[in-house]
Amino acid sequence: MDGTSGLRRVAPLLFIAPVIVLMAAFFALPVADLLSMSFQAKHPEAGAGGFSLVNYAKILGDLWYWQMLGNSLALGFCATLTSLAIGYAVAWRLTHCGGWERTLIALACLLPIFVNVIVGILGWYILMLPFGVIQQALDALGLIHGPLRWLRSFWALVGVLTYEHVPFAVLILAASLQNVPADKIAAARILGASGPRILWTVLLPLSMPGIVASSILVFSLSVSSYLVPILITGPRGQFIPISIYSYAAELLDWNMAGALAFILLVVVVVLTYLFIALSNRLTRRGEWSMV
Amino acid sequence: MILRVFVYIVVALMVAPIIVTLPVALTSAGIIRFPPQGLSLQWFIGIFQDQLLMAAAWRSFLLATLAAGAAVVISIPCAFAIERSRMPGRTAMETLITSPRTIPQIVLALGLLIWFETLGMAETFFGLVLAHLVVSVPFAFRTVLVSVSGLDRRLEWSSAILGAGPLQTFFRVTAPQIKTGVIAAFIFTFILSFNNVTLALFLSGIGERTLPVEMFQRMYVGGMTPVIPAAAFVLAVVGAVLFVVLDRTIGVFRYLAGGE
Repeated sequence: MDGTSGLRRVAPLLFIAPVIVLMAAFFALPVADLLSMSFQAKHPEAGAGGFSLVNYAKILGDLWYWQMLGNSLALGFCATLTSLAIGYAVAWRLTHCGGWERTLIALACLLPIFVNVIVGILGWYILMLPFGVIQQALDALGLIHGPLRWLRSFWALVGVLTYEHVPFAVLILAASLQNVPADKIAAARILGASGPRILWTVLLPLSMPGIVASSILVFSLSVSSYLVPILITGPRGQFIPISIYSYAAELLDWNMAGALAFILLVVVVVLTYLFIALSNRLTRRGEWSMV
Repeated sequence: MILRVFVYIVVALMVAPIIVTLPVALTSAGIIRFPPQGLSLQWFIGIFQDQLLMAAAWRSFLLATLAAGAAVVISIPCAFAIERSRMPGRTAMETLITSPRTIPQIVLALGLLIWFETLGMAETFFGLVLAHLVVSVPFAFRTVLVSVSGLDRRLEWSSAILGAGPLQTFFRVTAPQIKTGVIAAFIFTFILSFNNVTLALFLSGIGERTLPVEMFQRMYVGGMTPVIPAAAFVLAVVGAVLFVVLDRTIGVFRYLAGGE
């Protein structure tokens, strides 16, 4: 009897062991190692201890990096707003149609998950090239003259990031909107509420968990995206991920790269918690589970 | 009505960048230009003649298969243990398992770059598989967990009462019920792994590029020939077909949004 109860106690641990070992050895330890590296100077002075704040001092004492952080945050906010607005409309339509229309909308709006990021970026790159499709179309309509300066701009970046992250917003928001009971909307309509009023007082509060979860995800993906900025604005774009990659792969200064990565991580985590707290207070509800 | 028009404009914008790679790839010239000059299939044939590209595609396929396969295999027992045992620290373990999803991937990629250097396995394919495994497990685990928590325990109890051993019960009663969930977990994890660029960008060696990294390099360094739009279009078609098949058979929304 003792044998089996012992086995019963040990078996779950054995079942979990491979995953836990993997996560400890190739997730927790590397991240901890990175953190400790960020607190070391690349060229420590002779005799000085390992601990040093020199990387953080260099970043936080330089307006250049503050500007970079500001750019990244602005990018994250803009891309989150547009992704959420578009995702909400698409998700609403998706939960209210069926058959081929649903398949078409779902296919188009989830495609960036199934097709490589590089494909989407390449497509937008071709569309926005000087003398490219968009320019020729607008030129033909007489709206613009001369080459467009969009390709390398901030708003081109917001557009492409929105394109890449709309699918995640759609997925989460559709799941959330599906749980909104139809009779509540019907009740509001019978009581004479207008469309916008139903959206504001019924739909938005009821789908708040989905809005919070998708905002957090899209924001985190957008601020930390390296591929979109590097291909759309090029290496001169002042964004945190570009700087991280440049320190890590080109300048081989892993200590600075680590410090920048942790500043990015802390900013994302702090904003996530602030956002959750704010939305809890606004809707006077309990906790939302995190993504 | 306005909403509907808006949604269709969005649909058009979502499809436009993917469609535009087709005419650009159908050119007979050697540069990327719109409208394309001449009409030829040479760049689509060129994909198969481009040995670097084909080698990279094979490497990506192998990487995604290994990462998704291993992720699902270790996630199944883990999901059962988490769902059914009353271990102390269960929530903490679940948080640890799913935590790679909550930190920006560039942070993990950088951490692993340095970590592999310390362990002496920098720029190895095995290291890349491990990195992909770390980001695949949270997803595979959540997807499998949805199936496991939906199981009706009474069927297993009946099987045990009727004299079946634990293994027989698992393979003949439990496994058929979670089969669809496990297949879905594998396919979606494969897709996410195949499409991942950030990890490979930091971790793969120069001669060991994955397909998306190879495409990225050619776009970034410049001098890209229309073979890249051609490959992009092929990837897009494969992705679209995969989507429709998956949506019709096991349901994309159920599994991709699973566990939110």
